[in-house]
Amino acid sequence: MGTVIEYLNQEPWRFLVSFAAVLFLTLNLAAILTMSERKVAAYIQGRYGPNRVGPRGLLQPLADVFKLFTKENLSPSRADRWVFLAAPIAMFIPAAAIWLVVPFAPGAVVADLNIALLFFISITSIGALGVIMAGYGSRSNFALLGALRGAGQLISYEVPLILSMLGVAVLAGSLSLVDIVAAQDGGFWNWYFLPQFPMLIAFYVAGIAEIKRIPFDLPEGESEIVGGFMVEYSGMTWALIQASEFALMGLISAIGATLFFGGWQPPFEFLDFGNFNWIWFGLKAALIMFSFLWIRWTLPRLRMDQLMDFGWKILVPLTIFWLFITAGAVLAFPSVFG
Amino acid sequence: MGVTLPQSDPQGRPEHYLEGFRNRHGLEESGVEGNVVTLVVNPNIVPAVLATARECLQIMHLSYITVVDRVGSFELTYELLDLRGVSVRVKTAIEGEEPVIDTVTGIYPTANWHEREAYDMFGVAFKGHPDMRRVYMWQDHFDHHPLLKSFEISTKRTFEGLR
Amino acid sequence: MLEQERVAESAALSGRATERLTNPYLRNEFGLETIDLNVGPQHPAMHGLLRLILELDGETVVRCDTVMGYLHRCQEKIAENRMYPAVIPLTDRLDYFANMHMEHGYCLAVEDMLDVEIPPRADAIRVLMCELMRLASHLPSTGFLMLELGAFTPILYAFRERERIQNIFEAVTGARMMFHYLRIGGVKADLPADIPERIWEYVESLEANLQRDFVDLIEGNEIFVARTRGVGRMSQEKAVEIGVTGPALRCTGVDFDIRRDYPYSWYPNVEFDVITDTGGDVEAGYRVRIGEIKQSIRIVKQVLEKLPEGEVMGDVSRRIRPPEGEGFGRVESPRGEFAVHVVSDGSDVPYRVHYRDPSFVNMQLLQEILPGHYLPDVIAIMGLIDPVSGGWDK
Repeated sequence: MGTVIEYLNQEPWRFLVSFAAVLFLTLNLAAILTMSERKVAAYIQGRYGPNRVGPRGLLQPLADVFKLFTKENLSPSRADRWVFLAAPIAMFIPAAAIWLVVPFAPGAVVADLNIALLFFISITSIGALGVIMAGYGSRSNFALLGALRGAGQLISYEVPLILSMLGVAVLAGSLSLVDIVAAQDGGFWNWYFLPQFPMLIAFYVAGIAEIKRIPFDLPEGESEIVGGFMVEYSGMTWALIQASEFALMGLISAIGATLFFGGWQPPFEFLDFGNFNWIWFGLKAALIMFSFLWIRWTLPRLRMDQLMDFGWKILVPLTIFWLFITAGAVLAFPSVFG
Repeated sequence: MGVTLPQSDPQGRPEHYLEGFRNRHGLEESGVEGNVVTLVVNPNIVPAVLATARECLQIMHLSYITVVDRVGSFELTYELLDLRGVSVRVKTAIEGEEPVIDTVTGIYPTANWHEREAYDMFGVAFKGHPDMRRVYMWQDHFDHHPLLKSFEISTKRTFEGLR
Repeated sequence: MLEQERVAESAALSGRATERLTNPYLRNEFGLETIDLNVGPQHPAMHGLLRLILELDGETVVRCDTVMGYLHRCQEKIAENRMYPAVIPLTDRLDYFANMHMEHGYCLAVEDMLDVEIPPRADAIRVLMCELMRLASHLPSTGFLMLELGAFTPILYAFRERERIQNIFEAVTGARMMFHYLRIGGVKADLPADIPERIWEYVESLEANLQRDFVDLIEGNEIFVARTRGVGRMSQEKAVEIGVTGPALRCTGVDFDIRRDYPYSWYPNVEFDVITDTGGDVEAGYRVRIGEIKQSIRIVKQVLEKLPEGEVMGDVSRRIRPPEGEGFGRVESPRGEFAVHVVSDGSDVPYRVHYRDPSFVNMQLLQEILPGHYLPDVIAIMGLIDPVSGGWDK
């Protein structure tokens, strides 16, 4: 047994096995999130969610997956077939690929890149491309509107997203997520959400905008353009888009937990579980995901011009301002910060 | 700016309106019953009467336009409200099978859709209407006017020409 | 925020709508094209089956054309073949969020022709049912407004309240939605003995919880305010010109309420305020509806306190055969003025029934107001007009 593990620990097997594990995690996360979204929504609205399939409805994602496998993949006759089919893939691959750099526990990261943050930023931008492909390839006016809104929104909110992460990078002195987590050890007062609180807010809001959830779900605009960029998708293609959206939601939560809440670091020293610290990581990410769900079912959505106003006129100046303060603090008090 | 409404008590106003109409137009019949002023006029002067109501007497709201198909003639009723208790009913009768009357959209813009509905349902043509189209029925391949007494309710008749 | 400040901000925000319309010559010069978007009959936010053909310049509406008739059942024609009492179930299906008012309008028109004396208890019960119906209509209207803005929760709270009111209706009339309760000359049957207590308890609980469950979730919400203030603003002249009535008119500041100005039924015996607001935009429409909910609760309580004893049906023969003539009825439905004009030729079926539905007339607003607004505003403005498909299509 020991030799098998040792053998698998060598490259390239380590990478392949852990990549498969992370992919498995992503898809399961998407399924579990569909379930939790419906249950959270239901309890907020004063009703039970799905509670027939399995104990308390917990096997509902299984039923959903079965249904979607058997559903017909319709596509409009005028649609650009290759762009139409490639779009969900273009949306899913970034959401899955970035999980490769997320540190789950001490030493448990699929790819310890020393430019992990840069990797995250660059690959998420491809997701925006997927949205545009979906909307444009559908050859429908509703989808076109959704695609254009998606393009504007996603690209605009990447700027505050990136800027909000730079403060953390300055404090930790590195772009590697493993280093950033290691720099937050020693208890929750060392976590970066305290010195970087405005950046946390900006990251949170820009994160919601990147995952296209209410109050930023204009590309999907349920009550105006009925599905927006994904109005023409059904069956497994739609399921892939949904999976990518939920995987991205999990991802933003995971990155947020890593950057601002210490990743797998326990809040107190005595609660350190060693290799099982992924429990702490999971807990933090789950709390952030729950807050995304909570907000989705409470607030209405913004209009396009208000959304762009907010992103460019409020978030970007805030993040730039705080970045300067962070940099100044690091220079002025090198012993305290970094 | 704001819209001024008459004072709340409808005392004396119906008679005042009746006077106003009588002084300016030749009415076939007229009367006041409670708070309702009823006028019967010739179809040619209907726009003029309504213009009087709007401009001189400040009656601002056209509630509805009813068309009744008395086989052989069409009876139109315009109901105007002055929004404070008094209503004015202007009735007119158009003889014949092909009713034509001038539009009042220029005076009461709300009449736009009421006249479209009258055209759709009865075939009453309103001269000068900016947008004379059907409002409920199919726009093309449907030449019937459903509320005429001569339109029988039967499936065959309804879908004639569409299938 | 003070009301004057709110109204001033609304005016400032709405002024930009017309500025957004690009000059068509400029558009041609730059080779810009407009999209024709069919916000088609199948759409989750169109309050029924409405087709809006929008010409969009980017996201700004340049031109709007309403195509109706997808639910047209030609009720006026059917009514010419049914006896007078048999038309009442048809009127139920006109504006199906305000069934009691539709029945009430028709019954008033026929009673006008018959000149029958309606016992005070019947009148009071009619007013009670109509005001409960107003509650059951305004709450989901606000919920629909929020649903279209993107918040999925208030509508479920609103429908929870509507369910409770529908349970009361079921106990009184036997049906949850298509009541057929008001009859010519009175109402079908007296209230069951425990109903006044039940209605009282319900109305008290609604009054206590309205603020916490509903208004707090909506009113101070920054996003709600941003989406509805200044949107769909109309001036008082324009509103009266287009023939708008009901909350959409009162939100511009014109106080016209048929219950007070053209009193009918038992309304002269109850006290209530007519709620107006000076904003003229979607937020003002929302405030007017919430105010009307509170006034309806007030009216329901007064009716329950002063409910007279007696019969519930006037002295009307079973065979209703009005003399030749015309009858007119007018009520204040939750959407505006609902008027009925019945023409009789002496037989037992009406010669002509004409319904003036508020949703039909209020929809004319769309063609006037929409140009210059963004596509999401179109949906919000539908929440201001709050039409019901059965109403505009008859």
